Amino acid sequence: MSDISRRKFLQTTSASAVLFLSGLSRDGNTAPPKGYPSKKIGNIKNLKVNEPLAFNYPDDKSPCLLVKVENEAVGGVGPGKSIVSFSALCTHMGCPLTYSKGRLVCKCHYSMFDVALNGQTYQGLASQWVAQIVLRLDAATGNIYAEGVEGLIYGRIGNLKLS
Amino acid sequence: MSLFKRKDTLPIPPLDAEKYTTVCQYCSAGCGYNVFVWPEKRSGTAKSNAFKVDLSQQGQLMSGFSYTETMHNVITRKNGHKYNLAIIPAKESRINKGDYSIRGGTNALTAYTPTGVTRNRLKDPMLRKENGFVAITWDHAVEILATLTKSSIDKYGADSIAMKFYDHGSSGLGFEDNWGAGKLFLSGIKTQYLSIHNRPAYNSEVWGSRERGMHELNYDVDDARLADTVVLWGANAYEGATVFYTEHIMPNLQGGSIEEKQKEFASGEPAEAGRIVIIDPRKNATTSVSQDISAERVLHIRPNLGTDWILANAIARIAWENKWYDNDYLQKRTDMKTFEDYKSKSLQLSKSLNTVLADAEKITGVSRQEMEQAAEWIAKPKAGGFKRRTLTLYEKGIIWNMKNYDQVAAIAQLNVLTSNVGRVGTGCGRLGGHQEGYVRPPAPTPGSIYAGGPPKNVDKYITGGGGKIYWVGATDPYLSTPNSQFFKKMVKKRAANLLDYIDNGGIPLDPKAYTAKVLEAFEKTDGLFVVVQDIYMTHTAQDAMLILPAAGWGEAVDTSVNCHSRLLRIYDKFMDAPGEALPDWKILALVGNKLKALYEAEGNKAMADRFSGMDWKTDAEVFAAGSAEFGDNKVAETDEATLSAECYKGVTHEILRKLGNEGIQTPVRQDPATGKLVGTKRRYKYSFASKDGLFKWYGTDAWTGYPAEIAKYIDNPTYPFWFTTGRSQHVWQTMYHDKLIPEKYLSLPLPYMEIHPVDAGKLGLKSGDMAEVFNEEGSCIALVYVNDATKPGLVFGIMYHAKGTMNNLISSYTDPKTTMPWYKGTKVGVRKYTGKLDDAIKTASLLSNNDFTT
Ligand code: SF4
Ligand code: FES
Repeated sequence: MSDISRRKFLQTTSASAVLFLSGLSRDGNTAPPKGYPSKKIGNIKNLKVNEPLAFNYPDDKSPCLLVKVENEAVGGVGPGKSIVSFSALCTHMGCPLTYSKGRLVCKCHYSMFDVALNGQTYQGLASQWVAQIVLRLDAATGNIYAEGVEGLIYGRIGNLKLS
Repeated sequence: MSLFKRKDTLPIPPLDAEKYTTVCQYCSAGCGYNVFVWPEKRSGTAKSNAFKVDLSQQGQLMSGFSYTETMHNVITRKNGHKYNLAIIPAKESRINKGDYSIRGGTNALTAYTPTGVTRNRLKDPMLRKENGFVAITWDHAVEILATLTKSSIDKYGADSIAMKFYDHGSSGLGFEDNWGAGKLFLSGIKTQYLSIHNRPAYNSEVWGSRERGMHELNYDVDDARLADTVVLWGANAYEGATVFYTEHIMPNLQGGSIEEKQKEFASGEPAEAGRIVIIDPRKNATTSVSQDISAERVLHIRPNLGTDWILANAIARIAWENKWYDNDYLQKRTDMKTFEDYKSKSLQLSKSLNTVLADAEKITGVSRQEMEQAAEWIAKPKAGGFKRRTLTLYEKGIIWNMKNYDQVAAIAQLNVLTSNVGRVGTGCGRLGGHQEGYVRPPAPTPGSIYAGGPPKNVDKYITGGGGKIYWVGATDPYLSTPNSQFFKKMVKKRAANLLDYIDNGGIPLDPKAYTAKVLEAFEKTDGLFVVVQDIYMTHTAQDAMLILPAAGWGEAVDTSVNCHSRLLRIYDKFMDAPGEALPDWKILALVGNKLKALYEAEGNKAMADRFSGMDWKTDAEVFAAGSAEFGDNKVAETDEATLSAECYKGVTHEILRKLGNEGIQTPVRQDPATGKLVGTKRRYKYSFASKDGLFKWYGTDAWTGYPAEIAKYIDNPTYPFWFTTGRSQHVWQTMYHDKLIPEKYLSLPLPYMEIHPVDAGKLGLKSGDMAEVFNEEGSCIALVYVNDATKPGLVFGIMYHAKGTMNNLISSYTDPKTTMPWYKGTKVGVRKYTGKLDDAIKTASLLSNNDFTT
């Protein structure tokens, strides 16, 4: 459900398309990110709604959160497509993010990110949406794997470029 | 999976990347930025780069260095080559210290790129032909516009030219462009029908303060950290002037500036964490963030719409009654003759305190206890008898309130009564919207009704059939003007009448024949020749006859001051404007010089002279030319009040380039002792800006209810809700850039309204529904958010959005003293629509944007 293609977005805006041009070059879906490790980060049986699990990915300097939310979420896995994962570093100036009530909150300058909507900054200072971790659910075992990152982790020139 | 393409790596500027300093193109905070440009194929390394930061390590939180996905772009210069562009917040700026907001953080994404989201910038002058716009040359455009302007002045007088132009700084505009517009319209054309970007007339938004002798930008960012109490009055600082709040007000509330206070305060003076008084009908994000920091240090007062000056006077009366003022200060620094009027009309000393406060409670809806608490926090001396230090900042909630003049005057006077101006940690003025950069010849209307005014209402002139040419620069009145539904209808009609007349048998191609035909239309119809000068195709431009493409931020050198320190800096040019686009001052000069030539050709020296002095070659020359307007600034520090607030005489682009992010604070003096240029940190320590240096008091009007334009709705059950408007933190103005940036348009796909759960319940409304807000002025269809930012009986709407405007609902009322509209108050009905715009709202977060609790 979750992907909103450019074509679809344009349809909804066609009434005023002349004035409301959607972005071409930054729009659309991306190929799966390359070069990331695959890391087991949890099992579906141990996940309870709104109770996040902390882990590090793609390396031990990058704290992340795995959470099951109440409804379907963009990029979600699992039967309800409701399991999502994000970098836990605020994209504004790198403070830790706390999960609460369906969003990630930063108490440094109060940015808030909607975890059901791709880590969208729906309030606050962060001009970059928070980086979302690409997940894979192994149906047989229920294991959840982190397999990539979409968006830049705060404080890095590249997600895989620390020395 | 992503809703739009994300990056997981960013290019690195090599050590020798071009480096420029600039200031954010958006809000009044004026955060400093550094710009890096380098060839696309070149790269620095993690250890060796122009940022001078070790990029091989994980960046630390709050380090002051941020480089995120939204801070990079790839541009193409006129030489055809591609370059990386990085625009990052300046750590060394004392305004933002590396901080930035969701608006400024996307500065890089707004840069013009031929194939990216900004590719539809205006590139060529365009003339409307039978079937739409065609590109024409500058020579052609200037000939048409100058010839029409001249003929119109000659035949119908200067007032046949109406204009609506920005007068502010930032956004790629500033002193240079303002001087250009001033020379053309105020010295040259000399029309009285001038209006400023966001309102129907050419007026100050704060004559109520200026005519007291107090310019509205009189404080420094430091004062927000040093104040005992910060008052935000109709000023949503967290969402509107974000970094000013997060870097200067927030640390004060958190107790993070106590040490600074101890250094600056008198010895023995108490220095504690700051308090904040927020006067706003909404529980906006500023309120809930402040409450999350320290609820007991926040006082939130929610007056009825339109009643704030009654509240300010009541608070002043409580301060008076408690003798929380310094009689010596009042005697020495203020005009005691006019004080009598203030005592009788504003403080109402002939009535008992109980009567005054009971009346005020009834009118404002604010309890006596809240008024008393506000008075204590604003004015009550601290332990040891030390004067409290209060910084009071108001913005559009006051400026765009009913009775603009009295609202502003009442707040200014409350602060002077309590000595809260000119001292460390005090000040009283605007929070600001844009940055500033005003230098122009004198305006035709010098002040309010008490000082030669009021100025003409250009909207009423145009909608009433007045004017022949309407020239709009960098603003979109179809969205932004009050009563916009009616305004748009009338302009459209008049533009269509003109087009219809000249299209009779084909629009002539030759400029001479073309202008002759338009002049004929002026004679035979009520046709209006609309000219739009802008960077994008705007809503208004769709009805223009002529469109002039302007350069944007970073595409020309300009200069502005921010609002919270009057900090003058250079906004350097780091890239080329698209196509034929030119800086505004250059466009205005082309037309001015052509007018001069046309008048010279017919031997009319007097008229030709009016358009002289516009033959500038560079931005620096325009900046220098404007500075003459400020007069002599060789004055001592004690005479700073005699200087114009934005005086920069003696400062050049070169000096500013050297100063970089440090800048210099206006008014700039040329110190008589040393000859050096010296900035002014804080104003009115020694005297006020009146002829005798004394603050001039004014007795405000009594409450007489609402103006007819609003009174007609009171007690009418069709319009049960009070209605107010405001902005979203995410987007700037009409979203001219933001409508192209996925991070923004996916979050805010539609105009929206907020309604309280109690009212929503009655109407069966839920977040994500669509509803129509309507009254007899007009209507707007909006996405609904149900939250407790509003109170029962009050509906809020985003003032305007790229896809619609709430100004459709706003009345044509203006304050008779100043011609300032009441944008922020009317009454409406709300009608629920069945069905939803699923795809649009699928990307819009419906979470409550004023709940920060975890
Ligand atoms: S707070 Fe204002 S000046 Fe600073 S980055 Fe944001 S929009 Fe720009
Ligand atoms: S670091 Fe998170 S909002 Fe600033």
